[in-house]
Amino acid sequence: MLTVTALSKRYTPDKPSLEAVDLQADVGTITAVIGPSGAGKTTLLRSLNQLLKDDEGQVCLDDVDLRQLSKRDLQKARRNIGMIFQNYNLIDALTVLENVLHGCLGAKSTLAGMFAHYTAEEKQEALKLIDEMGLSDFAYTACKHLSGGQKQRVGIARALMQHPKMMLCDEPIASLDPKSAQMVMTILRRLADDKGLIVVVNLHQVDIATEFADHIVALNHGRKVFDGVPADLQAAQIQAIYA
Amino acid sequence: MTPQTFFRRKQRLMLLTLSGLLVSYAVASIALGFQQGALLQVQTGFLWMAQNFLPTAATFKLLPAVLFQLWRAFIIATAAAGVAGLLSLLLAVIGAKNLGQRHVTVSFLIRGFASVLRNIPIIAWALILLFSFKQNELTGFLALWFMNLGFLTRAFLETIEDFDTGKLEALIATGTSRPVAIMQGLLPEIATPTVEWLLYMIENNVRDATLVGLLTGTGIGFLFDLYFKSINYPAAGLVVAVLIVLVISLELLSTHIQRSLT
Amino acid sequence: MIESVSMSQTPTQKAPRPVNRRTRTLRAFVTGLAVISIYGLISVLPKHFDLWTATKVFGANLQLMFFSPNVGNDSHLLLMQALFASIELAFVTTVLGAGIGLVCGLAAAENIAPRWLSLTTKSVMAFVRAIPTILWVLIYSVALGLGPNAAVVGLTFHSVAYLAKVFANTIEEIPAQTIEALRAGGCGLLPVLCQAVLPSLASRLLSWTFIRFEINFANAVVVGAAAGAGGIGYQLFVASNFYFNFHEVGMIVYYILAFVFVLEAISTKLRHKFID
Repeated sequence: MLTVTALSKRYTPDKPSLEAVDLQADVGTITAVIGPSGAGKTTLLRSLNQLLKDDEGQVCLDDVDLRQLSKRDLQKARRNIGMIFQNYNLIDALTVLENVLHGCLGAKSTLAGMFAHYTAEEKQEALKLIDEMGLSDFAYTACKHLSGGQKQRVGIARALMQHPKMMLCDEPIASLDPKSAQMVMTILRRLADDKGLIVVVNLHQVDIATEFADHIVALNHGRKVFDGVPADLQAAQIQAIYA
Repeated sequence: MTPQTFFRRKQRLMLLTLSGLLVSYAVASIALGFQQGALLQVQTGFLWMAQNFLPTAATFKLLPAVLFQLWRAFIIATAAAGVAGLLSLLLAVIGAKNLGQRHVTVSFLIRGFASVLRNIPIIAWALILLFSFKQNELTGFLALWFMNLGFLTRAFLETIEDFDTGKLEALIATGTSRPVAIMQGLLPEIATPTVEWLLYMIENNVRDATLVGLLTGTGIGFLFDLYFKSINYPAAGLVVAVLIVLVISLELLSTHIQRSLT
Repeated sequence: MIESVSMSQTPTQKAPRPVNRRTRTLRAFVTGLAVISIYGLISVLPKHFDLWTATKVFGANLQLMFFSPNVGNDSHLLLMQALFASIELAFVTTVLGAGIGLVCGLAAAENIAPRWLSLTTKSVMAFVRAIPTILWVLIYSVALGLGPNAAVVGLTFHSVAYLAKVFANTIEEIPAQTIEALRAGGCGLLPVLCQAVLPSLASRLLSWTFIRFEINFANAVVVGAAAGAGGIGYQLFVASNFYFNFHEVGMIVYYILAFVFVLEAISTKLRHKFID
């Protein structure tokens, strides 16, 4: 379970980007974070795996506060957290298989990682994940030749290669066409249902959030303005959030 | 503004620029003592080459010696680029502003160091090195190496700073350490431009090796100088011919490599 | 539900990873470069050579150069004049190179010139580029007599060949449709060039010309030293080879660096604006 308590973050002294945000996300659920641009959605998500540091409050994953960890222990903790991005952040020059295998780099020694030494089992597993994502025809294709939807599925496979407990998704469908967006969201739904992952996803489409999420958190100006199930989110509240 | 004044202004600006350029050109030519008529005698150079540079039967006895020096020039040109390239890549990774270098002074120092190395004329390197390292291949190698180190560091810095660090962050988010993320994420992405720069450097080094040899009295440049000054033009022509073959083969090879990388 | 995304599918067995062309090329290149570098490094070291002493002497010389520069037997005025002579040489050869290079570049561009012309021009340019600048200057010093004429003609040769190549590459990036559209409108070749091709490329062609100016300045220094063509390069050669005066060498290097840094600052600006 993910528990965030009183998380604050300031880039400039007077204007906070996050102000005392509390959040709980359970195993096997999707939590959607919505809000207008600049509301602090990305800041919140990047604090959850401490890509952004120098904040205040607590970020506990299974009762371990990530903020208190040493650099080494944080690296270890990050192996339990997968992350996908709006612009995929794949290594375009490499093949799909190599990109997916990058997911297990964190579990290797520095030397083995440097020279990309993967075991046969890891390769088998990566191929299996690629297959599950419906990309088996592209395993040996360089990522630069893929479409946006395909790239995002490679991103998901790379994250799954880590055997994560939690999946962070930063605007995963913002650059995708509606059909690919549906597909990616469906996959995320299954990860929560079948694999019991904690999924936290930043979205700017409220309709998609109500369709797929179990739990919606809305941010505005760095403050939490809504926290509840999709059914409780009324049209008037949506207007207030985006006002 | 009416269309007429717009076009008139544009024409006037064009005319001013062109005449300014022409006047500067004329002034510079006069100051240099360059006579424009010389441009019409370009063909004399080619004619002269055709008459004098054609190798005779006697020159072919020199072929083994010439080919050996060509081989050495190629090895030195490539080794200078290779050794400098490795170090440059390291310096560029340390100095690049987008890879988490927090100390601005380190970036600045590496950039400045590269700029000074690359802008000191290669002949200055050759002449200074000649004193301490004497007349041998090492002097030529080091002159090329210093220049390459500056040039490649600068080139790699620019290449790396074009790299989208979000990709690196994605790997770090999986719990990878920074060095591993750089090896697995950055290097594959910059491989193509890096190879292109190295190939360019090798090609350029072959030409510069001739020049450095001329000044330091070693290698293929020295051989050309020797034959040319002793008016053994057919032998000098042979040197030029093998140089052309080497440079053009390198150019073809590098086009081939670049094509396989895309 | 999308059919291809099914989580419970059994994995299909795959053949071992095929190495693609890119990886193979990269590996071959890196291995080749490493082998040649190591062999070169070993073979370039002279036998019975005291590397340590040489390095120490080199360090001491650098110190003399950079920390106590002076004008030696010459004067600041003389060095200034010499610097300007090199700049003039670079300027004249760049103007000539750009003018002739543009014509050759158009003749070499595959999307404008007929195939035979493009191929011939490209081959001739490759041939000219393959001969080092200094050799062109030496050849013309014999054919035309030693002096500024030989230096200008020799340097211009390489500038033309270089600029023709980069100009042709730039022109070849114009989409074929653009040219076709204009030609289909009944436009002759020359109007197409003047009204469509050149204006849209002018800024990039100018940046390339400026880059060539930097190269030509370096070449002007070289030619001065190696072919006795005057300018700051000649002063450098005399100071180091005849007078063994490292202080003066240092001063001359500072003169050159000062000018080159100004050029570099301008060209960085231009490059960011036009080429990237």
